[in-house]
Amino acid sequence: MNRNLIILLTAFLIPFSTDLFAEAPSFRRDVMPVFFRAGCNSGTCHGSARGKDGFMLSLFGYDARGDYFRLTQELIGRRVNVAAPSESLMLKKASGQVPHTGGKRFELESPYYQTLLKWIEAGAPDDPANVPEPVEIKLEPDRLLFDVGAAAKPTVVTARYSDGTTRDVSKLSRFVSNNPDTATISADGVVTPGKRGDTFVFARFNRFTIGSEVIVLPKDSAYQWSNPPTQNYIDELIYDRLQKLHLLPSELCDDETFVRRVYLDLAGVPPTVEQYRAFLSDANPKKRDVLVDQLLASEEFSQVWTAIWAEWVRLMGGGYAPTGTDVKAAEAYYQWIHEQIKSNRPFNEFVADQVTATGSNLTNGPANLYTMLVHSPRFTPKEFAANFSQLTMGIQIQCAECHNHPFDRWTMSDYYGFVSFFTGMKRKLGAEPREMYIFNDRSMPPAKQLVDDRPIPATVLGGEAPVPEMGDKRQALARWLAAPDNPHFGRNYSNRVWAHFFGRGLVEPVDDMRISNPPTNKPLLDALANRFADSKFNLRALIRDICTSRVYQLASQPNATNSGDTRQFSRSRLRRLRADVLLDAIVVATSSERGFSYFPRGTKAIQYYPRTPGDTEGPNAGDPFFATFGRSRRGSICVCETRTESNLSQALHLLVGDTIDGRVGGGQVVPKLLVAGKSPEEIIEELFVRTLSRKPTSEERTAMRELVGDNVKDRKVFEDIFSSLLQSTEFGFNH
Amino acid sequence: MKQLIALTLIGLTSAVLADEITPVNYNDHIKPIFRQHCLKCHGDDQQKAGLNLQNFESALKGGSGGKAVVAGRASASLLYQAITNEDAEARMPLNQPPLPEAQVKLILAWIADGLRESAGSKSLATNRDLTFKPTAGAMTKPDGPLPMPEKLPAVKRPQLNLKLPIVAMDASPWAPLVAVAGHEHVRLLHTQTHEELGVLPFPEGVPHVIRFSRDGAVLLVAGGKPVQSGKAVLFDVRTGKRLTEIGDELDAVLAADLSPDQQLVAIGGSGKIVKVYGTSDGVLKYKLTRHTDWITAIGFSPDGNKLATADRSGGLHLWEPKTGGILLTLAEHKASVSSLNWRNDSRVLATAGEDGLLIWWDVVDGWPAISKNNAHPPKRAEGVYGRLRNGVLGVSFDGNGNLLTAGRDRVVRLWTPDGQTTKSFEVTEAIPVTPRISYDGRTLICGDSLGEIHFWNVP
Repeated sequence: MNRNLIILLTAFLIPFSTDLFAEAPSFRRDVMPVFFRAGCNSGTCHGSARGKDGFMLSLFGYDARGDYFRLTQELIGRRVNVAAPSESLMLKKASGQVPHTGGKRFELESPYYQTLLKWIEAGAPDDPANVPEPVEIKLEPDRLLFDVGAAAKPTVVTARYSDGTTRDVSKLSRFVSNNPDTATISADGVVTPGKRGDTFVFARFNRFTIGSEVIVLPKDSAYQWSNPPTQNYIDELIYDRLQKLHLLPSELCDDETFVRRVYLDLAGVPPTVEQYRAFLSDANPKKRDVLVDQLLASEEFSQVWTAIWAEWVRLMGGGYAPTGTDVKAAEAYYQWIHEQIKSNRPFNEFVADQVTATGSNLTNGPANLYTMLVHSPRFTPKEFAANFSQLTMGIQIQCAECHNHPFDRWTMSDYYGFVSFFTGMKRKLGAEPREMYIFNDRSMPPAKQLVDDRPIPATVLGGEAPVPEMGDKRQALARWLAAPDNPHFGRNYSNRVWAHFFGRGLVEPVDDMRISNPPTNKPLLDALANRFADSKFNLRALIRDICTSRVYQLASQPNATNSGDTRQFSRSRLRRLRADVLLDAIVVATSSERGFSYFPRGTKAIQYYPRTPGDTEGPNAGDPFFATFGRSRRGSICVCETRTESNLSQALHLLVGDTIDGRVGGGQVVPKLLVAGKSPEEIIEELFVRTLSRKPTSEERTAMRELVGDNVKDRKVFEDIFSSLLQSTEFGFNH
Repeated sequence: MKQLIALTLIGLTSAVLADEITPVNYNDHIKPIFRQHCLKCHGDDQQKAGLNLQNFESALKGGSGGKAVVAGRASASLLYQAITNEDAEARMPLNQPPLPEAQVKLILAWIADGLRESAGSKSLATNRDLTFKPTAGAMTKPDGPLPMPEKLPAVKRPQLNLKLPIVAMDASPWAPLVAVAGHEHVRLLHTQTHEELGVLPFPEGVPHVIRFSRDGAVLLVAGGKPVQSGKAVLFDVRTGKRLTEIGDELDAVLAADLSPDQQLVAIGGSGKIVKVYGTSDGVLKYKLTRHTDWITAIGFSPDGNKLATADRSGGLHLWEPKTGGILLTLAEHKASVSSLNWRNDSRVLATAGEDGLLIWWDVVDGWPAISKNNAHPPKRAEGVYGRLRNGVLGVSFDGNGNLLTAGRDRVVRLWTPDGQTTKSFEVTEAIPVTPRISYDGRTLICGDSLGEIHFWNVP
């Protein structure tokens, strides 16, 4: 089927051949693609910022005019010699006839050489002003299915031009595979399957990147879908994907696993012994849904999402005065965020309020988006625009500051048009030194494009025309961003929310959405985004869908098909607890308080944010526990600032640090149980429930009982068991 | 011999203010500007960066970054750089709108005019007399018949696809003769009749340099094949005979000159080294290794006492040609120096660069006596933004100190010895590259990037 399609398509396309140059090759249409294909204008060669060996081309050809100048006019008669075309240095170098750092790029007989030669023979002409530009490219087939060990298949890249013509540009494109273990793609676009799995291969031509999905399946005719029940669209779309990949989902997790998982995810704390017992003894068949609703309504839920948003916007106090990050400003912002989350403000309005905020950063919390997102004594529109785009759309546009984004669709004009929303943003000192007054100076000119200094008026990302020059342009930006049909906003936050519950986004990393980093399950991401928009950006509704889905409630134990799956959510993923959640979990399990400097007594770790200078890292880091367990440093906009990897210093901290050691006895957990006359078996069970939200297995029971031996009233031996449970990997992870 | 224009150069730069009676000075004009914009941070109360502009002496002293103002040289004056910085974030006064244009002009005039303290003060700029004075001998016609080609042997010309851009060309200093670069050959044309008088084969490749000797009898042709080979060849103009071949380079020679006594040939190119050879024995005399980029222009002074060399990064040095000892470094160009040429009296060197600068250097102390920072201003087409390429590609003096230049604005321009532009000629189809003036000053000649030669007769 696919092969027929290719043949059919090729027949109607003009193949790439030099015979077609009835007219001279065009510089933009024919010559520059050769530089692209041959790698001349790549970042490591002449496309680097300063060129290579004295000759510069624009990276992947974003500046045709400049490239034409540098080739033909910078050193007249050297790189291009119209009198004796084959003597042109460009041809001699590229074909390896003279020493060339980049080696031989193509043969004399190749169509690439012939294109360049013909162009020089014609006098190396520049293009007329109206030369057609590519407007989109297609990669076919858009989906390739292989069995392991199957034969390679070709692909075809077609470009459509602004004059409506199409052209086969397979021989002028560059190809790359996202996972060469699963499938490789040759320089000519031929895909060869590797190991079982799914990935994307990409073709790049001009400023466009486009992908095709590749699925490689094992030759197991025995695969049969287990037909598990579904709760909602999330299950349907995940199952659909699993079937395509011949994966089976793991079993549903048991109630003990579920209650711990959902408490940690939704409330940021494990269940108490009472909450655990109440849930387990509940006979309601819908009790999981009930618990989800109960937790969604809890204050703890608001605390978790306030903390997450504060992290994302790099909220902190204690910066030095000119940055506007005084603790009073931070507190105003934090409280405002908390109120919005608590009242379940539609998420789009919540974000829009921050985008358009104006006024004192001490009294108007959301205005601090303009002091926190970039910690700098000066407001820097470019840096702000880049961080803002990453925060609100998950898109990193900063590549396009100096050249068109090499692996996405964003051009320099897109970038500068977006920066122009913020070129008027100013911060002036308020009535007191800690105060910044945020306002938009509408008289400021728009940002200028780097290549030719052309001013680019404020334009939404991917917009056809600038927004109207009326009033505060941020209003237009906020309206566009918050609109239900915005292509980026809903996907970004659905994906980020998903990642919170699964330890991995559908697009991963969640703040690097681009064409060359496609979602592992696009229909699901679209469905989540649509659902989010349809619910008027109701955060709790979206999360309810996720937490009540069967997919969220799967066990972490793999089956025969899915042990290798890390991307399709066929089983629950082990996730190390965030630093603040882990600390709160220790506090809950040990019933022992943990105070924080500069915060009132009773503050939970999840409510903590940096309030003092140097708090986030370095010698004055506010709380060593946070530093060790990777709470967000606020060092950049990257979500990777919050680290959840495991390392040795964490293990050592739990073993010998004072966090657990001091707390095991501090809460009097064991003495109270002893006083209450509990049996050793009961105490052991209670300690397991407190820490792991589960009863010990019979092996564990036996082993623990043996440890206790005759010392049935010895506080120390039980506290040793308690410590070991808190230090265990099982405690530190959600599973 | 024509009547020579005698003018001192200093003072002309303040022509803007010719209608004012008092010369621009610190007390009357500059301090009020400083008071308005600068003294809060750079005054008696506060001296940010160690700079105090509140009185004349301390203003001259400068700050921690060095001298704030240099008499006669805005390009070396930090203060001027600071107030005209294009980066709004770095421009002085900090976080304020830029100074009004009139005030900037006033400060520029004050610097250019020599930093006068008061109306009655003397200019601090050195008073230099750069009057063109023909050196004895330099303008004396050599004995014998005019050095013109006489029945050159017929040569088979290479088959060419299109004309080679005229990357090199020279006019004889004594005869109506111009030598023009072609691919693997050099054509000799009559400047009046435009008739081709002969062809010199140059199978070595593209001639990037063509220079007549001071007596017009010898022609230096240098060039080669890019990244393959390079060479300089001396021809007898009358017979077309090859006299000698110099150098064995790995890349085309891009810059070269023959010393006035014809004893030395200096060549340079992408190797970043200037090599000086003896013409009699072809032996390498010395190498100049101070340049950090491709050598783009080389010229011996007509009196033979100096050698100027320039590179693609704007480096420009003067050397003692017999020993290769450094005399001066002329720092002003910010981009490739595309061309240099000596005035006949060896007192002034003209240089042109891709940075748009055209400079008349006083070579006694390496001072940019006249500096035009946008000598060939390109016209801005509608809808075109950004910095337009305004490089000056060629400079050439005539025997009387007039200068002919060609630029990327596609204009060929004639300048008087005091730096006034008098005539300009447009080349519409291509970029003019090689401006030259005929021996008698009557014909202006320029080759262009499409291989055409333009002749303009001047009265």
